[in-house]
Amino acid sequence: MKVSVGDVVLPGDYCEEISPKDEKSRVVIGPGLRKEVDHVYITKAGILKKKNPHTYWIDSYQKRYVPIRGENVIGIVTQKAGDIFRVDIGGSTTAALSFLSFEGATKKNRPELQVGDIIYAKLVIASKDMEPELVCVDSFGHKGRLGVLNDGFMFKCPINLVRKILNPKCPLLDSLKNEWPFEMAAGMNGRIWIKANSMRESIALGNAILGAEFLSDSDIKKMCNNIAAILAGHVS
Amino acid sequence: MQDFKLKPMKCELNYLSKSDGSAILSQGDTVVLASVNGPMDIKTVNQSIEKATLEVLFCSKEGKPSVADRYKENIIRHTCETAILGCLYPRTGITLTIQELENYGGLLTCAVNCACLALINSGVGMRHAVAALSCCVDGAGELVLEPTHAQATAARARLHFVFDSREKSLVTGFTEGTFSEGTYEEALARCRAASDLVFAFYRDIVSNYCHVI
Repeated sequence: MKVSVGDVVLPGDYCEEISPKDEKSRVVIGPGLRKEVDHVYITKAGILKKKNPHTYWIDSYQKRYVPIRGENVIGIVTQKAGDIFRVDIGGSTTAALSFLSFEGATKKNRPELQVGDIIYAKLVIASKDMEPELVCVDSFGHKGRLGVLNDGFMFKCPINLVRKILNPKCPLLDSLKNEWPFEMAAGMNGRIWIKANSMRESIALGNAILGAEFLSDSDIKKMCNNIAAILAGHVS
Repeated sequence: MQDFKLKPMKCELNYLSKSDGSAILSQGDTVVLASVNGPMDIKTVNQSIEKATLEVLFCSKEGKPSVADRYKENIIRHTCETAILGCLYPRTGITLTIQELENYGGLLTCAVNCACLALINSGVGMRHAVAALSCCVDGAGELVLEPTHAQATAARARLHFVFDSREKSLVTGFTEGTFSEGTYEEALARCRAASDLVFAFYRDIVSNYCHVI
């Protein structure tokens, strides 16, 4: 079926707008779209989105992670094997993390990482034919926000929820950050790590995030106010 | 053309919390639950270097595996293998588990449709969606679309078709009983026209949750 931007799409649909008419015009196609001989076909069910001038993608529901290069993910160290750590990032295979890809790490000065630690890392290699590779430094050798996540609490959620709360237009984090202090790391593999001052605040934060999954922006604001009121003790 | 009456369909996506994608579908009184897990790691012997391995498990109500279940598994596996873009996930496995809950005729078509909805929900890359329809030839030689259990058991022939969503071309077809070539052509044409209703239903289900994700 022929569809246009903003429509609900199913696998097998195609969008005439995406196929460039002349050789010079270029389009960028994102997740859920695939070029075949005659058209660009849709491979996932969701909503066709467009960003000007020529970027297209599908917003879809997904729980299972498929590694994509350049994404920040939360992983669990499962094994120490010689020079590398094996990290579970929720994909089909574990990812490799070299012990040299930490800030200030040398052959003599190894990072202290134990099996079971939670790390926030960036995917530098993610190809369907190869094992994914992680790093905990940027290209200048600084760790930035990457590295081991100490204490706190990690939970899993659908991948589209992570995309939703990281969207700058989403009011969830804007509403919550003024209510009580907390730290949060959202991995694009559907894992979220949170740390607040008390257990009560952590639970409230976790519930707020998971509750936002199927709410519209105005409902999210309402829910956040509600949770903040309960937490402050105004409502029991 | 649009006066086809299919059995009323009801569906809930993401019915199971732990699986990667799941759907429960009722067509009339027949109810089927399907769950998809993957792409995930599987044993090296089962891995294929060029595409994902699809494994289908069909669990009947009695719970005892039988030859008839293997037959259904095979049909569903072949149908879904054409629908899934397995080449995007080499050396991985995708598991599709189907549980029969109620059977009042049309179990296999319901199972194929439910499997398709579960795959749509899981976010696995797909070439196209599939829609299964059945048709039977009654004693008087008349075609009955989506027969009831009583009609299907009394019928002279039963025809099942699965269509893709791109060109409505035939993906899978299997028949039982005797019928003429003309009857086959007519049944095929009717089921093909009625498949639009099934695809419209899929779109409806997806649009229910799409606007807030």
